[in-house]
Amino acid sequence: MTVLHTSPWTIGALLLLLFGLNTAFAQDPAAPASDGKELYLSYQCWQCHGYEGQGGAAARLAGKQYPYAAFARFVRHPNLMPAYPPNLLSDEKLRRIFDYVRSIPEPPPLEDIPALRENK
Amino acid sequence: MKPSDKGERLNRREFLSTAAAAGVAAAALTNTEAAAAQEAGKPAAAAAPPTAAQLAMEYDDPVGYSAAEVDDYFVKHPGSDFMVDCIKALDIDYITTNPGSSFRGIHESIVNYGGNSRPELLTCPHEEQAVAMAHGYAKVAGKPLAMLAHGTVGFQHAAMAVYNAWCDRVPIVILGGNHFDATERRAGVEWAHSAQDAATVVKDYVKWDDAPHSLQHFAESMMRAYKIAMTPPMGPVVVMIDGHLQEAEVGNQSLRIPAMSPTQPPVGDANAVAEAARWLVEAEAPVIAADRMAHDQRGIDRLVELAEVLQAPVVNLRGRLNFPNTHHLSQGGGELGRADVILGLEVNDPWSLVNSLPDRVHRVPQRRGRPDTRVISIGVNDLFIKSNYQNFQRYFAADLSIAGDAQATLPALIEAVKAQMSRARSRTNAERKQRWQESHAKRRAASLEAARYAWDASPVSTARLYMELWQLVKDRDWAMVSEDRQQSQWANRLWPMEKAYQFIGGSGGAGVGYGAPAAVGGALAHRAEGRLAINVQRDGDMMYVPGVFWTAAHHRIPLLTVTHNNRGYHQEFMHLQRMASRRQRGMDGSSHVGNMLSDPEPDLAKIAAGMGCWSAGPITAPRDVGPAIKRALDVVDNGEPAFVDVVCQPR
Repeated sequence: MTVLHTSPWTIGALLLLLFGLNTAFAQDPAAPASDGKELYLSYQCWQCHGYEGQGGAAARLAGKQYPYAAFARFVRHPNLMPAYPPNLLSDEKLRRIFDYVRSIPEPPPLEDIPALRENK
Repeated sequence: MKPSDKGERLNRREFLSTAAAAGVAAAALTNTEAAAAQEAGKPAAAAAPPTAAQLAMEYDDPVGYSAAEVDDYFVKHPGSDFMVDCIKALDIDYITTNPGSSFRGIHESIVNYGGNSRPELLTCPHEEQAVAMAHGYAKVAGKPLAMLAHGTVGFQHAAMAVYNAWCDRVPIVILGGNHFDATERRAGVEWAHSAQDAATVVKDYVKWDDAPHSLQHFAESMMRAYKIAMTPPMGPVVVMIDGHLQEAEVGNQSLRIPAMSPTQPPVGDANAVAEAARWLVEAEAPVIAADRMAHDQRGIDRLVELAEVLQAPVVNLRGRLNFPNTHHLSQGGGELGRADVILGLEVNDPWSLVNSLPDRVHRVPQRRGRPDTRVISIGVNDLFIKSNYQNFQRYFAADLSIAGDAQATLPALIEAVKAQMSRARSRTNAERKQRWQESHAKRRAASLEAARYAWDASPVSTARLYMELWQLVKDRDWAMVSEDRQQSQWANRLWPMEKAYQFIGGSGGAGVGYGAPAAVGGALAHRAEGRLAINVQRDGDMMYVPGVFWTAAHHRIPLLTVTHNNRGYHQEFMHLQRMASRRQRGMDGSSHVGNMLSDPEPDLAKIAAGMGCWSAGPITAPRDVGPAIKRALDVVDNGEPAFVDVVCQPR
């Protein structure tokens, strides 16, 4: 049986590289979040993460405060989900998807949802 | 014959039936008691012999006919009447069927001789539906119903659902019509609907089948079939019923119905159980994983006792309910990776308790458990296995493998664990309990937190769907008759589930088309107990055999169905997307091809209405879900099925 190991140095190097990329592909201020939503839908992110990024077959994206570099790493070098390489999903498009995900508004607090509050 | 007329028309075979039924009742107690009651050929003392008037009535001939005409026109005592007596002797309440000429003899006997009561015929527009109804029914009722299949064509329609039942270890008694004698077949269809061995199409995934050549052979095979189906590992069985045997005169044959003595489930070897107990007691981090373990509430209660004695977390793999999700020892699958000893109870795939095979280009196994984890397996999977279909999963060399029904073995294991618990070990339980209580509370809080997201979204979030339902059913005696695996397991994450009948697992073979008919079959069993049966119906599944909603309406089977309608086969979306990713093409929109149910979107509410069900929808706004379910519940409370179509998020 093969056991896969990933060196912490490798992970660190990747994160460094991706954080570096973060500065190289700064957000285009002219691109609205709705544009990112269109990409989120057309690239089928919603299939596993839900239309609102709430998760489902895959992890919740909405409300998570991770940096773009980590987001990009998950998309480019995933463990379980399909890998989206740059030639199919450019860094610029990926950034717009990220901006959309970050812009998804917070849902109502639990205390404001009777069905959840009453069943705590 | 109407049931109310039966007292006036009791004949010799009904007498035999009564006697045999008494024998089955005795057999349902214990083997010893059954053996005492089963003295071959002797009716139980409770059955009175037929009176002279009853005997005379049995031999009335039609007037105005010669003996030769009587012989040519009429059958006084058809063989299928005796077959019905055998079925009655087994306490089978229902027979699901799509009518077919190869069993017209027994069809008539069930209706006019048996009074269409215990068993009652349930009309099904498709054999796949008929078997899947039996599948859902058995998991709730704890006993099989019978399914009547047309030779050749009926079996081919039924095959997929039989496979699901086989994989899910569920007993079903399938009766198949056939015409064995070629010289007795009418030209045309009777030939097309006959086979040397009609059960061949399902032989790889039934426990046993037979093709009796006489009525006495049939009686004995029925008892054997039932016994085999109900012995763990349970599964479907087939008994063919020859057209000639059904329709021909019994004549002066001396027939008897043998008693059915149930086999006690196998229990694990005592020494091996003691060794398992030692490992569990000595473990620093024991974890229990349960899959198709609890046959009924006793299984759940026993597992609670074992887990509490050890203060060991239970990972419910949810082939059955197995363990209350409200219990502090109900924990997530991540605990398997931290365990030093894992006890697997009826786990279908023990390999995956400590391993995984990622869906990558190169499929390289990964160890996900600790390298020193020892695995104990208790179950019946090794006791009965076939070769062709590979549902038995990857070979796994458990460190201690015990053949025995897990539910039946648990009492011995509990006693052995208690006997080996030292005071020092027992003292650690307080700390363990506190840790698991905290972990359980965190998991609950996380589920509620996750449910907030997309709460007001349209399409409706699956968490919202389940909570709208919950608000309306939580004060009732409710039971899920569907699974929630494709809906992010929200029922398990949000609803308290404590009773065995509140969740019955999934299809077994992952054959789509199980959901709707199994839900109706489950609801049929719940009807007798006055419970509210709830089906969260997937749209793709519903498209297979939607006729089952007609069956529910026709037979007045109360069932609340609410759809998780995501307009497609979403698991397949992800598979197509994965393939496109590997091949670096089409990632921006090709994955809907072949996977969407749109253009036009099937109007599921109209389909249900067309089948005679009250229906509402499609509903897209979350605020409209609760009121629609409330109206549907009024219908269900009147003993009818109701259907609410809700357009939902993918998962």
